[in-house]
Amino acid sequence: MTEETIKPLSEPVYNHAHGRLLLPGTRYWPTDMWKSPWSLPTYRRGAAVLAGLITGGAAAAWFVGEIGPRLAPLYAAAEAFALSHDIPAFWISVVWTFIKGAILLLAPLVNALFAVWWERKISAHIQSRLGPMYVGWWHGALQTLADGIKLFLKEDIIPDCADKLVHTLAPIVVVIPAIIVFAPVPFGSGLVFADIDIGTVYVFAVGGVSVMGIIMAGWSSGNKFSLLGGLRSAAQLVSYELPRTFAVLPVIMLAGTLNIAEIASSQAGYWGGFVPRWFIFYPVVGQVAFIVFLIASVAETNRVPFDIPEAESELVAGFNTEYSGMKFALFFLSEFAYVLLSCLLMASFFFGGGAAPLPFLDFLPSWAWFLSKTLLLMFCFLWFRWTFPRFRVDRLMDFNWKFLLPVSLLNIAAGGLLIWLIS
Amino acid sequence: MKNYIDFVADASWNTLKGLWVTLKFLFLPSITVQYPTEKIVPYPRFRGMLAYDAELCIACGMCVRACPSRCIALAKAAPPPAPPPAADGQPAAPAVKAGPKIEWYTIDYGRCNFCGLCEESCPTKPKAVWHSLDYEAVFSTREEMVRRWKRGDGPWGTVKRSADAQPSAISDQIHIQDMPVRK
Repeated sequence: MTEETIKPLSEPVYNHAHGRLLLPGTRYWPTDMWKSPWSLPTYRRGAAVLAGLITGGAAAAWFVGEIGPRLAPLYAAAEAFALSHDIPAFWISVVWTFIKGAILLLAPLVNALFAVWWERKISAHIQSRLGPMYVGWWHGALQTLADGIKLFLKEDIIPDCADKLVHTLAPIVVVIPAIIVFAPVPFGSGLVFADIDIGTVYVFAVGGVSVMGIIMAGWSSGNKFSLLGGLRSAAQLVSYELPRTFAVLPVIMLAGTLNIAEIASSQAGYWGGFVPRWFIFYPVVGQVAFIVFLIASVAETNRVPFDIPEAESELVAGFNTEYSGMKFALFFLSEFAYVLLSCLLMASFFFGGGAAPLPFLDFLPSWAWFLSKTLLLMFCFLWFRWTFPRFRVDRLMDFNWKFLLPVSLLNIAAGGLLIWLIS
Repeated sequence: MKNYIDFVADASWNTLKGLWVTLKFLFLPSITVQYPTEKIVPYPRFRGMLAYDAELCIACGMCVRACPSRCIALAKAAPPPAPPPAADGQPAAPAVKAGPKIEWYTIDYGRCNFCGLCEESCPTKPKAVWHSLDYEAVFSTREEMVRRWKRGDGPWGTVKRSADAQPSAISDQIHIQDMPVRK
């Protein structure tokens, strides 16, 4: 150890200060923080930001007000304009439908942008992490956008042993039903693309088509993991379609209609002035129907604990193992679109759609209540995802055929009994 | 039938318990810190990088003897010249102010096993060599692992290069070294 090899410190270490207070912004060891989280300034600030977001959102919604009733005068004005300029009214309806369709198309896309970020944040905070923090200005808010750009720029790989046509077609077959299934779903009073009378049947029928795409993806990849994932997905989705549909039947019987917007609006009013007449508050039948529908919806969207089609630890990534770039993103998009769809359906079937939970809260427009109920239910989806471990394949089938299906069938009978008692 | 109902009730109850745990942790502050801008402060008994104070050191060599991995080395300073004997009728010349009693002092962090024996054996009060709370021990060469103080340097570690003795200032970060460390 000669003196030539010796180099001094690069950073100051010297400290004589005895008993010096810790500097502001210093993070203590986490177990100390958990003893009294409210003493942390960052925790108080976070709570204030959360409360501010909720009140700000409510204020913005109150300021905007109802959107649905304003559309009819707008359409009438457009028709009058067409009449005065010798344009056939048919063209106005075509343009009107296209504009509505474009707005509807945005719903799953914006939802995917938001939901992926939200899922990452919630998963991080459940595991005591922070999640994305740098991209975007606030808490990684633009992380999904950055990931989307990355996926756009990625190479699109088609494996040599894949069936090229079917491999390319599969994500399209998955994503198109995931978008057009939103047509009869209301987003607020008057905010529905196609107000058709068989809305419920349409949603379940079109939503079922996506299974086809998943099987195509699994089969055409030429990979045993993909094939196993596709087969599991087919078995699971077909099985869970049954209790999911049966769970809605009591609601349809009570409402007396298949039109989703009408089901939502038939729950208006309050029992005793403060208990909303939502279907979830109908004794036993409503709660059982909701729980069965919720569980079956989680299974339908292939999410944990029912994610055996893409079980990472067993099947690499299941049916989307061989997909890269935007094709992979389309599978993701459709997954989150179905999550949004399930939440919208639950909000309109069981939670009264755009009705306020308490009579004095109805100063907020119906679309704001719809949105908040949907987001709360979507939070439940993410919450389940980061709480439960995955089902085994046989247990999954057991759970469906031996528990959900009998319970939902009994629930239909109970619903009939309830209607008989009420009338 | 009773077994079936019991099983369902038990499973539902356990499911709810699991959900409650995750919900609780969702609303607790997270453990993760954003490292370069935020740093966790270790507990006071943490044995981090060794720090050294030449002003207090009496160059007794106890730490050198205590070190099991022989990573400390030092050299005593030459004693200050004795004052000239007082002439008749004049007061004695004031004693020359003693500087540090040490010529140079090095610690080889490549060898140090952070046992704390050198701190234990140091006889001065407060300790002249002690474990700070600094855990940011990053070196790119073996030579850098040897930290050194020699006569004429500023306080331990404040000198970038011994040629220009400019102390580097703490600028934008909270430093572990700013925390109370000495016992």
